[in-house]
This record gives sequence, C-alpha cells and structure tokens, in this order.
Amino acid sequence: MSNQKHHMGMKTLNRVSNSAIYILLIVISVIWLIPFVFIVLQSFRVESTYQVGYVIPQQWGLQNYINLWNSDFKRWYLNTFIIALAAAVFQTVIVLCMSYTLSRFRFKMRGPLMRFMLILGMFPGMLTMIILYRVLSDLGLTQANAVPGLILVSVASSGMGYYVSKGFFDTIPKSLDEAARVDGATRLQVLYKIILPLAKPIVIYTILTAFMGPWGDYVFARYVAFGTSAGYNVAVGMYSWLTNDQINNMYTTFCAGGVIVALPVTILFLCLQKYYVEGVTGGAVKG
Amino acid sequence: MKRQKVTDPEKVSVKRKRKSPKEFFGEIGAILKEYTDKGYLRLSKLQKFIYKILAFLRSIPLAIARFFKNLGRGIKNAALAVAEEFKDVGRTFKNGDWKTKTSFLIMGFGNIARGQVLRGLLFLLFEIVFIVYMIVAGGYWLSMLPSLGKQGPTQSYDAVLDAYTTTYNDNSFKILLYGVLTIFFIVAFIYTWRLNIKQNKLAEQFLKSGKKLKSDKDDLHSMVDENFYKTLLALPLTGILVFTVMPIVFMILVAFTNYDGAHNGFSNNLFSWVGLDNFNTLLSWQSAGGGQSYSATFGEILAWTLIWAFLATFTNYFLGMFVAMMINKKGIRLKKMWRTILVMTVAIPQFISLLYVSKMFARNGLINLTLKDTLGWISQPLPFWEDPMWARASVILINVWIGIPYLMLITTGILMNIPADLYESARIDGANAWQQYTKITLPYMLFITGPYLLTSFTGNMNNFNVIYLLTGGAPTNPAASGAAGSVGYTDLLITWLFKITTGAESQYYLASVVGIMVFVVVALISLVVYNVLPSIKNEEDYQ
Amino acid sequence: MASVKLTNVKKIYDKNVVAVHDFNLEIKDKEFVVFVGPSGCGKSTTLRMIAGLEEISDGTIEIDGEVVNDLQPKDRGIAMVFQNYALYPHMSVYDNIAFSLRLKKVPEDVIYDKVTKAAETLGITEYLMRKPRALSGGQRQRVAIGRAMVRESKVFLMDEPLSNLDAKLRNQMRSEIILLRQKLNTTFIYVTHDQTEAMTLADRIVIMKDGLIMQVGSPDEVFDMPDNLFVAEFIGAPKMNIISTQLLCENGKYYVTPFGSKIPVDGDKGEILAKKNIKAGPVLLGVRPEHIDLSSGGENAIPCTLVVDEMMGSELHLHVDAEDEGGAVSRLIVRVPTIDIGKEERKALVAGAKLNITFESKAMHLFDPETEKNLLV
Repeated sequence: MSNQKHHMGMKTLNRVSNSAIYILLIVISVIWLIPFVFIVLQSFRVESTYQVGYVIPQQWGLQNYINLWNSDFKRWYLNTFIIALAAAVFQTVIVLCMSYTLSRFRFKMRGPLMRFMLILGMFPGMLTMIILYRVLSDLGLTQANAVPGLILVSVASSGMGYYVSKGFFDTIPKSLDEAARVDGATRLQVLYKIILPLAKPIVIYTILTAFMGPWGDYVFARYVAFGTSAGYNVAVGMYSWLTNDQINNMYTTFCAGGVIVALPVTILFLCLQKYYVEGVTGGAVKG
Repeated sequence: MKRQKVTDPEKVSVKRKRKSPKEFFGEIGAILKEYTDKGYLRLSKLQKFIYKILAFLRSIPLAIARFFKNLGRGIKNAALAVAEEFKDVGRTFKNGDWKTKTSFLIMGFGNIARGQVLRGLLFLLFEIVFIVYMIVAGGYWLSMLPSLGKQGPTQSYDAVLDAYTTTYNDNSFKILLYGVLTIFFIVAFIYTWRLNIKQNKLAEQFLKSGKKLKSDKDDLHSMVDENFYKTLLALPLTGILVFTVMPIVFMILVAFTNYDGAHNGFSNNLFSWVGLDNFNTLLSWQSAGGGQSYSATFGEILAWTLIWAFLATFTNYFLGMFVAMMINKKGIRLKKMWRTILVMTVAIPQFISLLYVSKMFARNGLINLTLKDTLGWISQPLPFWEDPMWARASVILINVWIGIPYLMLITTGILMNIPADLYESARIDGANAWQQYTKITLPYMLFITGPYLLTSFTGNMNNFNVIYLLTGGAPTNPAASGAAGSVGYTDLLITWLFKITTGAESQYYLASVVGIMVFVVVALISLVVYNVLPSIKNEEDYQ
Repeated sequence: MASVKLTNVKKIYDKNVVAVHDFNLEIKDKEFVVFVGPSGCGKSTTLRMIAGLEEISDGTIEIDGEVVNDLQPKDRGIAMVFQNYALYPHMSVYDNIAFSLRLKKVPEDVIYDKVTKAAETLGITEYLMRKPRALSGGQRQRVAIGRAMVRESKVFLMDEPLSNLDAKLRNQMRSEIILLRQKLNTTFIYVTHDQTEAMTLADRIVIMKDGLIMQVGSPDEVFDMPDNLFVAEFIGAPKMNIISTQLLCENGKYYVTPFGSKIPVDGDKGEILAKKNIKAGPVLLGVRPEHIDLSSGGENAIPCTLVVDEMMGSELHLHVDAEDEGGAVSRLIVRVPTIDIGKEERKALVAGAKLNITFESKAMHLFDPETEKNLLV
C-alpha cells in the first residue's frame, strides 16, 4: 500500500537526519572541548615552555605547577578569590534589593528610574574608569591596595544589572504578596518569608554570576593595579605572561594557571548548572 | 495536497499576468500612502518584501520625529511642573502658620514643633551639614569651576635644601570633580528644602482635618512596610549615583576641556574649558598629525564596530538556535550530555579561553606550528592575526565559539515554550520542516527575543573582552594610526577608547568625545529599533 | 462582624482612566453582598480597595465606623480569598493556614487548635502536611478559605473564588460557602462574574458596569424588577429577549405591538404606566425565555420559525426567528419544560418548523429605548 510506503519513507528519512545530527553534535562537542583538553595536556609538558607543534607532552611532569607556586600567582589568585567572594555577597544583596523593588513596588519614580538606568547603560562603562581611577588613587585604593578598590567599584554600580532577576521576580504571582499582606505581614516579612524562599533559583544564579565575574575581569583590574604585581588579579597577571617578551618562558605556566583558575569555577558551575539555566532562560529574555 | 495548488489565489493571480514596473511599484506606493489591509494582501511576495523595507525606512524619520515631539512635550511639562512648585511654595508661605513659616529658614522646625522629632532632626542636620560644607569648601570649588584653576604648580628655590621645590597650587581635576559634586549637593539641598516645605503644608492640612500625624515610631515602622522600597533602593541607588552617574557627568564635561597627559591639571599643566573644539577635531576632515583625519579614523572604526556587532549578534543567534534545535529534536538521545558539554565552556573564565585560543592561532602558535612543522601542509604560517581580513574573520568565528553555548541555553527555553499544537496544525496544513521553521519557529523566536537581540547588539558594540584579549586590535592600520594613537583593523570604538586613555599621550578629552559618540550611536539604534519594532511585528501578522 | 460603608469611592488610573466612579454603598453587619458584572466593570477593583490592596483615588471607606483609607491591609480586620487561591507554594497546608496567626505571635498550641478546627470544618484534615501543589483545585480552594477563616476577621472578602473550578465542583463549593457563611456569621463581600453565583449566594446583589453601579437589590428584586436594560439582560439565563417595538395608548389602555400583534399591557403594569403618564412611542419590550409559551395559534399569537433546538434535559431551549411588518427578523429564545411536550410534538420540533408563541402581560418588561431605564419602576 502506498500509505505504508510513505510511512516507511518518513522513518528512514528520520533515521538519516538523526544520524546527521549525531555526527554534527559530536563534531561540535569536539570543537568546543578541544582547546580545554589542550590546555590541560600542555600544562603537564616539561620539555619546553613555549608553543610547539604538537599537543601530547613528550615528557610529563608538574614543573609548570611548581613554577606557578613560585611566582606571584598565589597572590593574584588570592586577590581574585577575595574579590569574587565579596562581589558574590554584596552584589547579590544589591541586585536583589533593586530587582525585587522594581518588580513589586509601584511608586511614582519607578518608570523614570528604569528609563534613566536604561539610558545610563548606553554609555560605555569604560568611560568612568579614568575618573574612578583618580578617585581611588586619592583614597589609596590602587596599585598594591587594588583589591578593596576593585570590590568597591564592582559592587557599587551592580544595581544596574537588575534585569534578569527582575524578570524572575515578575513570574512569582503578585497575589502571594497580597495574600501575605492581608494575613498581616509587613513588606519586609513578605520579602523574607514568602518571596525569598520562592526565589532560590535566582538567588543562586545571582551569587554564581557575581562570583564568576571577577575571575574574568581584565580591563578595570588592569587599570587600577597597573604596574604593581601585588595588586593584580589572575586575568591581569596571566595576561602579562603572554606578552611577546614573556610568552616563550611562561606559555606552559599560563596553561597550568588556566587549569587552576578554571577548575574550581567550572566545578562550582556544573554543580549549580540547573539554577544557572533557570536564571538565563527565565529572566534573561524577558529583561 | 492537491487541493492546495488550486486554491492558492495569490499564486494564480501572479501567474496570470506579469505586472509592468509601473503597476508593480504603483501598487506598493498606493498602500504606502494609505495603508489598507486589502491592498496589502493582494500584493505579490516580492512586492510585500519591498513594501516592508520602504515602510521600515519611512518609519525611521517618524520615530525620530516622535521622539523629539515627546521630548518637547516632556520639557514643557517639566517647566510647567517647576512653575507649579514655585507657586505652591509661595502659597504655603502665605497660608502657613508660624511653624511652617519658620521652617522656610530652619528646616525641620515645623516637624519638631508638631512632634515629628526624628524627621525634623534629619532635616535640620542636613541643613547644617550643607551650610558648613558650602562655607568651608563648596564655595571655593564652585567659584573655581568656570576657570578650572588659575595657578599651576610653581617652582621655587629653597636655600636651605639647596634644591628646587615644587608647590602644587590649584588642581583642575579636583576642581571639576568637587565642583560637580557641589552642584549635585546644591540640587539635593533644594529638593530637601522643598520636601520640608511640602511636609509642613501636609502636616498643617492633616491637623486641621483632625487626623493624627505619623509618630516617629510610625515613620520607623514604615521603613519596613509601605516605604520599604525606599529602604531597599537607598543603597543600590547611592552606589549608582556615586559610581556611575557622577563619573559619567564628569566625563561628559571632560569632553569640553583639554584634559590629557600633558595637561593633567595638577603636576604639569592645568587644563581648561575649550568649548566644542574636541568635537570639531573628531568630526573635521582635516588631517591630524600627518596621518588621515580623525573623522576618517573614527568612521573606519565605527563602520567595523557596526559590522562586527551585526555579524557577532546574528551568527551567534542563528547558530545557537540551530544547535539548540538539533539537541531538542525528538528522538535525539543524551540531550543532557550535549547540553552540559556546551554549558561547561560558559563556566571557564573568558580570559583563559580567549587568550589561549588567541595564542593557538598566533604566527608561531599551535595551529601554525602543527600545520607547518609537524604535518608539513603549509610552508608559510597562516596570517590569522596579521592580515586584516583573516583577523576580522577569525575574530567573528572565535566569537561564535564563545557565544553559541549561551545562545543555545536561551533559545532552548523559548523553543520548548512554543506550543506543540502550532507545529501539529502546520503539519496537517502540509508544511515541511523548513516551512515550519520559517513560519512558526522563527517569527515566534524573533518576537520573544526582539529586545534581547537589541541589547545583544549594543553589548557586542562594546564587547571589549573578545577583541582585546584576542587581537588587542591588531593588525595595525598604519593609515589610521598617528595622532589618534595606534589603531588596528579589529579595533572597536571601545578598545580604541581604552588605547587612547592608556596610550602615551593619554588623550582623556578625546576618549571622552569617543565615549559620547558611542552613546549617541547606541541610543540612536535603540531608539529606532524600539520605535520600529512593534510596527514590524504588526505587519508580520499578515504572513 | 462589622458594617462596611463606601462613600463616593473613586479609582482613577494614570490620571484619566476611571475604573470606579463614585461608588456609594452601605453593607450591613453580617450581610452577604455580591458584586457582579462583566469583566472590567470595576468589581474586583472595588473589593481590592476595601482590602487595602489598591489605593483609593477619592472618597472614604469605613469598616465598623472607622475610616480605613490609610490603613495597611493587615490593620483593616479583613480576610480575603483570592481567585487563584494564592497559597504559599513552599509551605505545607498547616503552615499556610497558620501563617497569619504566627505573624500575630499567637502561641503554637492555640494555633494548633485553631488550624485543626478549621481543617475539620473544611474537611481537609488529612492534607495538613501536604504542599499546595499536591492538592486538587477544590482542596486548594478549601485551604484558601481555611486561611481566611482562622483570622476571625470582621469582614470576609472573596474575589471570584470559584472561577478556577470546573462546573461540578463549583456547584458543590457554592453550597459549601452558604454553609460556611451560616457557621461564620460574619460580613461577606463576594465578587463574581457569574450571575448564578450571585443569585444563589447573595442577600443583596450589586450589579456593576464600566465602574458604575447599575442596581443594588435582593436577588428577587433584580430579577423581577431590573432597573435598566443592562441588569435585565445580565441577570437570568438564557438572557431576556429584547424586542424593539411600539407602545400604543388607546382610551387609557396600553398595548405593545411586537411582530404585528397587539398585546394589551394590563393589570399592575398598565396601572403603573398610566400613573407615570407614559406617552405612546417606541419602546423596548423584554420577555424572559421561560415566560414565553408555545401555543397553537389564536389571538395575539406570534408566528415564528424554529432555527435551533437545544435539548437541555429538563427543558428545551428553542431559538426561533420572528418577522415584523417591515420584514426585519429577530431571534428569540423560548424555554419550555420538556415534560410539557408530547412525543409527537417533539418529533415535529425540527429546524424550519412553524410555531406560534404567546406571552402574558405580567411577564413583560418595558424599557425606554433612549435611557434604557425600566418604565415600570
């Protein structure tokens, strides 16, 4: 019967297209993973410290990690970790305050405020570096003391990034707030008894992104700590290893450093992946 | 299946006769002039497409006109509101009792006299702080603001030390900074003073109508209840005010000065107001320092910035969607694994992956060495970062590598939200996979992600990390480099801005002008897209 | 256990969109008042203003003699049941019901007594430890009511509490609300868009449209004596037939002339018309479907054609077309008890069948076509 033939045709077609997709997905996975596999492999290479035309080390060893330990890397790592931790705490508090307020309260200045912040966001943030650097340097928070300065700057304006979590708060029905207020809760009680327990995914998302941010922050850290190794974060410090005069000595050490930096962040991220995905898909688009 | 061919009236009419160009465009023109649904529906596919482009182009000036009209109305309303405030202040003084009248001079007096001690004390404290500040410092900063300082550093011979010592006098930077702060402070004071008057008026009205005023305890309680939003916003907004608004105001002002490395306003020369000179320099066609003009350099970088932003946004968008659709397809197994592999790359700090990949593609990097030495396929290294076209293409491709996982995540969520019955009904209507994509998936995605695409576009315009960590702007563009610093073929406005400020000459004023231009471009694009977006959507309803 | 008084209450959004105009109503202690109207009529907004969830643009609201305009919802002595139940998803049923008591710092053993008692009343004792998402719609509804019950408030507000339930459950919960009301013996304000709910539950119904009160009255009053065309059409299902026709006055006697007939308006209704000295002229005649009879013809019978017949079980809804002298066709609905129709007659009731209908003077409602006001009130 022609009908059956058609059916069979569809099935084969499906099988062919699925196989094609599997092949594509495998290729994609390889492309996406290969650089990271390479970094790990090269971090164990002992025979040369510069770039070579092969991937698998001829001589395995931990020399690069020992070099790392003997360099300023420890200091950079600690700096970054402190900044990330502080950012995770303060930034989360500020972002949540801002987004909860803009999602739940209807006050006169709400619309103008949101429009104002939208316009503010159109200025390149880098523009403010020049003056912030001068101000921080007057306060003694640059170069070797860059860490508190970087924390201050990264936390202070974080209220502007309220979009994602506001999008999430908007999905919690307002009638819950109202029911709680009728039940006798103050706005503060509504926040910590009703909304926060329900907003767990977005709280974790905010903490996670705030924590991950400083690990990759290059430009401002470079500006504030310029020239003083003790004030560097990992990004600025390791960038200096790849400049033309350093790269031949430090390339494999960079790889080892990359592994050490990426490992904890990646593990943390994979553990909390679920919340990250929820945050991105729930809030990012609604903005 | 057969039925479809016969009953598609559009196709029949198109086949029947070919329209002359005059007819073809005449029909579009008629609808453009006076939009009618019927006329639109009778257009051929090509005509519809042309109509849409024309309608889009036409709506741009309209959108801009609407913006200025709204702006005008906003200014008018604001002026009226200010006038009303003045009148109200006058009325309050005329009709107020002695407590209210005293509060015009001594802020918070009325509050304290009426039992609201806490509020009153805060008002009073603010007034005292303001007056003291203005006497001690504010007056000086304000008076110096028009000149930005009169006396630069002076050297004098110190006989005791037998050396020249430098005395630092005025400091242009501080004058500008604290001058701006003082103005902020004055505005805040006027607002608070006005608030104090208003509260007196309200309190009087309240007491007259026999109601009770809020006690200090009520005030404190309201901080966690009806006024909870003020409590919550206090910290974030202060941060934004001090660390974003104030610096931006400052930097906008710098664009009107000659602040640079040679005029740092302190240890070498003071800087001063130069009016619109910097804008003239950037936008003029005169060659600067022997090289090409600033405007040509700016134009080249702007063009590449826009091309980059467009390509970076849409390659990521469509490829990310494509990957998401592959993973989501019914019958594909291990969905979670594929997703995790991609998502993992989101976690790794960008500077590691970007720097590593950048070096991998370098002249003596892994790829070139492998191809040349290990495999022997090439004799010369491939110019990934040396040739302008290679560099630009590589940047975009690597950006795809960076961006796809994130886009895959976003689109996965939306794709799963598209109602399945839309696809089922489309399949019953005879749509194939491609038609399902163009008629259902894509319109739905564009509709939901419209605003996201806009922010992503502007975000890519300012995507410092990818460009700076990959190429640092290289390869150098010799024609453009010169007075404007070293400019490369892959430099975006934002990396150029960074180079200007960190370069040898530290042309802060130029960076500031460039920053303002970035703002103007971003704002214009956003304005047009926001205003045009809904009209495009409405038209899509006809498809 | 309190009265509620609304005086000139207004709600204006964004300076020009008026949601509620000048609302005046006094609700007595222990009264059950239902606000009913189509969506967007302002009924929910009014309720939310009473609850304090919506600011009042103008006017005053008093509960138990105290002006509550500036009070927070929690200080107004109200309890409220929401349309979507608004149960706290992260708390068990027990914690949901206990929430308000805990905020008031009531001792835990008192809370236990109160919650279990409420749960018993509502028949949800066995679900106390469950989370709301593990409950069915009806059970969630009971929890929402339980949460409101333990507050022992002066006024009980309900915002479309049954509209998310299926038809069968809705009927059941409706009768349970009547029982609950007898038990609680407090003031109820209930919002719904369903006129059946309004009719069955209310002591007094407030019918609203576009932010205005159209009529306030007991179910009997609004059904028998609708103040205006809107109320007449809104109350009763299927809705009242409205026929555009002429009112004649001959020798002090009034007639209406639907579809070429000439039906006297006599009895009470004629007297009222005479007393109010109503002039002859165009008029809107309203007749409820259940007040129209099928007849075999004769004087004042109106011939018509059957278009659709709906068998509802106990009764038959006949949609018929009648034609007036000018040839204009109107669609009328006739509601006939099934038991009144013989087997043979039923067989003849197919689309296209010719029928005759009659109605009596006491079934008539007359409205002014201009003002849409009832001429008989």
